[in-house]
Amino acid sequence: MNIMTRIANTLAMAAVAYALVASPAVAQQVTALTGATVHPVEGDPIANGVVLIQGRDIAAVGVGIEIPDDATVIDLEGSHIYPGFVHPLSALGLTEISSVAGTVDNTEMGAINAALRVEVAFNHDSALLPVNVAGGILTTHTVPSGGLIRGTSAVMNMEGWSWEDMTIKAPAGMHINFPAGAASDSDNDDLKKIESVLDAARDWHKAMDAFEAGNAPRPARNAQLEALVPLLQGEMPLFLYAGQEKEINAALDWSERQEFQRVILVGGPDLQYVAERLATDGIPVILNGVYAMPTRRWEAYDMAYQAAGKLFEAGVKFAIGDGGGGFGATNARNLPFHAGSSAAFGLPKSAALKSVTLWPAEILGIEDQLGSLAAGKRASLLVTSGDPLEPMTQIRRVWIDGEEYDLGRSKHRQLFERYKGRIQTEAE
Amino acid sequence: MNRFTNRTIIILASLVTSVALADYTPGVEAWNIESAPPQQTVVVRNATVWTAGEQGILEQADVLVRDGEIRAVGVELDAPGNALEIDGTGMHVTPGIIDAHSHAAIIGGVNEATDISTAQVRIEDVIDSESINIYRQLAGGVTAINLLHGSANAIGGQMAVIKMRWGASPDELIFEAAAPGIKFALGENPKQSNWSNDDPRYPQSRPGVAQIIDEKFQQAVDYRQELQQMPEGRRARNVVPPRPDLEMDAIVEILEGVRKIHSHAYRADEMVMLIDIAESFGVTIGTFQHVLEGYKLARRMAEHGAGGSGFIDWWNFKHEAHDAIPYNPALMAMGGVTVGLHSDNPELARRMNLEAAKAVRYGGVDAHDALIMITANPARQLGVGNRTGRLEAGLDADFVIWNGHPLSVYSRVEQTWVDGRRYFDREADRAHRDAVEAERRELMAMVLEEGESGGEADESAAEEQTPGWLIGYRASELAHDEFCHAQDFGHVHAIDFRSGE
Repeated sequence: MNIMTRIANTLAMAAVAYALVASPAVAQQVTALTGATVHPVEGDPIANGVVLIQGRDIAAVGVGIEIPDDATVIDLEGSHIYPGFVHPLSALGLTEISSVAGTVDNTEMGAINAALRVEVAFNHDSALLPVNVAGGILTTHTVPSGGLIRGTSAVMNMEGWSWEDMTIKAPAGMHINFPAGAASDSDNDDLKKIESVLDAARDWHKAMDAFEAGNAPRPARNAQLEALVPLLQGEMPLFLYAGQEKEINAALDWSERQEFQRVILVGGPDLQYVAERLATDGIPVILNGVYAMPTRRWEAYDMAYQAAGKLFEAGVKFAIGDGGGGFGATNARNLPFHAGSSAAFGLPKSAALKSVTLWPAEILGIEDQLGSLAAGKRASLLVTSGDPLEPMTQIRRVWIDGEEYDLGRSKHRQLFERYKGRIQTEAE
Repeated sequence: MNRFTNRTIIILASLVTSVALADYTPGVEAWNIESAPPQQTVVVRNATVWTAGEQGILEQADVLVRDGEIRAVGVELDAPGNALEIDGTGMHVTPGIIDAHSHAAIIGGVNEATDISTAQVRIEDVIDSESINIYRQLAGGVTAINLLHGSANAIGGQMAVIKMRWGASPDELIFEAAAPGIKFALGENPKQSNWSNDDPRYPQSRPGVAQIIDEKFQQAVDYRQELQQMPEGRRARNVVPPRPDLEMDAIVEILEGVRKIHSHAYRADEMVMLIDIAESFGVTIGTFQHVLEGYKLARRMAEHGAGGSGFIDWWNFKHEAHDAIPYNPALMAMGGVTVGLHSDNPELARRMNLEAAKAVRYGGVDAHDALIMITANPARQLGVGNRTGRLEAGLDADFVIWNGHPLSVYSRVEQTWVDGRRYFDREADRAHRDAVEAERRELMAMVLEEGESGGEADESAAEEQTPGWLIGYRASELAHDEFCHAQDFGHVHAIDFRSGE
């Protein structure tokens, strides 16, 4: 062992020791954010409110809250506090540069990949994460894409030292793409393939039950079939993807026949045409992108912009996404603007805010932890210059899990500071 | 091709005629119009007027328009008695948005992806005047766009600037005052980095791209010399003139400063390279397009005189985009560059105001200066800064009325005027929707009937024209620079709601 390695090891051990000592202290640390207008999302904005943070969580939100003597008080007068955005459907963590194959892990070859778990490939040091945290995305539902049965997704924290630390919920659901051709063809090969795998999984599960009851030998292991059992048992929701109106209807018919217990439909602006049915059936949806061409050439120019408003009017529970994918992941930070533009075309502003905070948290089943500012939830929040659905608004500071996040970790901010200095120097 | 029969087309045509006789006149296609809206004398009263010029933002101001021109901008203006009065209380008026990088109305041929230089090809030959994008972008406040070739080759082709005169013919769309321009491209696309290549073309590296541009300029110098050395009059009879060369003609125009280079460029090194070559031939570059790393050479660009026309926040979609930052416009402006923001995407072009808003977010650009990045500055970059892009007496009456702050996500375009003609009116648009839908149903019923009586048409016929998630579009309306991104996510331009990539 050479001297440098020994020094490095010593430092590493010291760091571990420090972490062991420091972490209980961090857990009890109390921080009071004061002076800002607090937007809890559930309930009205609170002028000159207080958000009290203890350890990882929010201890209290409101006015007239007693601030403990040992609390660190941070005056945020002139700013606004909002919960972080919850991205309902992204490739964050799985993709870096979408044209460079070696950096892309959000798609797998083949059609049936039920046993894939995306969280195991979540790159905690992806350059995309700090850039998007600086844009207010503090939680991502990262999903597999490509193929028919795509595997399971995970709700991930945007900050942490490894994917294990960062996993908030996994598996979050199974992802199945309803084949486009199946809407008008009952013999669609892709749909038959999906159905045969689901039937095989049911059979496998029965055989396994029989084995466990001592009535039959153990069925051969099959990772794909085993991975589908929680879906068939209703222990895991299904994220079902469909594009155009007729496909959405066909997908809903199909999921009824399959007797899935919890379905979340993922689709585009055509969801508005199925709004009544979605509301009646109580199917939540992810409106996966507002900045889209109208589906049909002859449709009104604002067809996609008004989709969220139509879903709201009909009483559908929905979250707004951005289309996802590798390209989308780089600019996941634009998610709130999809909601804002929906508000320009019929969605109430308060609903627009919920559609990227509380409602995705509810749809993903993490509303006990995230999605609004309330005692007991994770202290993951944004300090802004104003309304965070406005592109003009600046995000000034960010807390994730009770700790202030260093926005200087964003590569974009680093390059900005570096070259701002250069341009100013050149001017002198 | 779709499966409409000739007979169906005749039925469609006759039906359109009958519909046209009704109170609503939709013209040849949904949303299109049969003749230009009239040029009106109009005064917008009591609005917040963003001039994008020296007057800045005027509160409770008026804008007077006559004969297609802005006559006055100010407070309590006198207007002719016949002027249409628009109450602008609570409204904001801005110049029309100008998009300096578009492929939104080109009938195929966005890329002439053959030779490394195709300077001879012209966008003006392939303008799609019926692209629905024209109407949709008017609805987002866009009044002029620069139609460019793609980025498949180092020297692409000759661009065409058009005004959004919806319903006009290709010739009538041309913005005649615009400076002639030509598309160049540097980096990954001309060197063919992002697609499989059975038959690679030189160059395959950035030095190769530089070399070929330099060589083409040298050839043009020689060609010009040959032309100049041609004797005149009787003596010319004894000399064989140089063979006419349309490619070289265009490059000579570049050398003469008549035709401006608008070069697709990402990285700082390649932009410095093009500046270096251009300066060695005494050429000044018009703009760098996309200009992702413009902030790294802002002073150099300003010193040379090149403008920057970029995305606000696209990054990391290709390796050469890994240092793109949304602070780029703010930094380039700080360095003295004339900065514009462009779309390069027919969907994004519908909300350029929000792209400008991000320049406020990233780097704290003043809101009025941010608006200038989508109006006055792109106008200057296209050589029409003295015609449009600002609200000032004497300029073309290209303007937009918004129902709120023009950079707010909660605002909508209420009206868009080009040359003093109201081409978009949200109220009228909403009134037309039912008529368009009724017409569509009627047409579909007739097509179905035709199908049952032996014709081949069915309801899916229209849907088959467009691949992907969109229905009924012509390919030209979804056209983009297919080389601008790696092929595996070419569908980004029409969001794939399934994230299926």
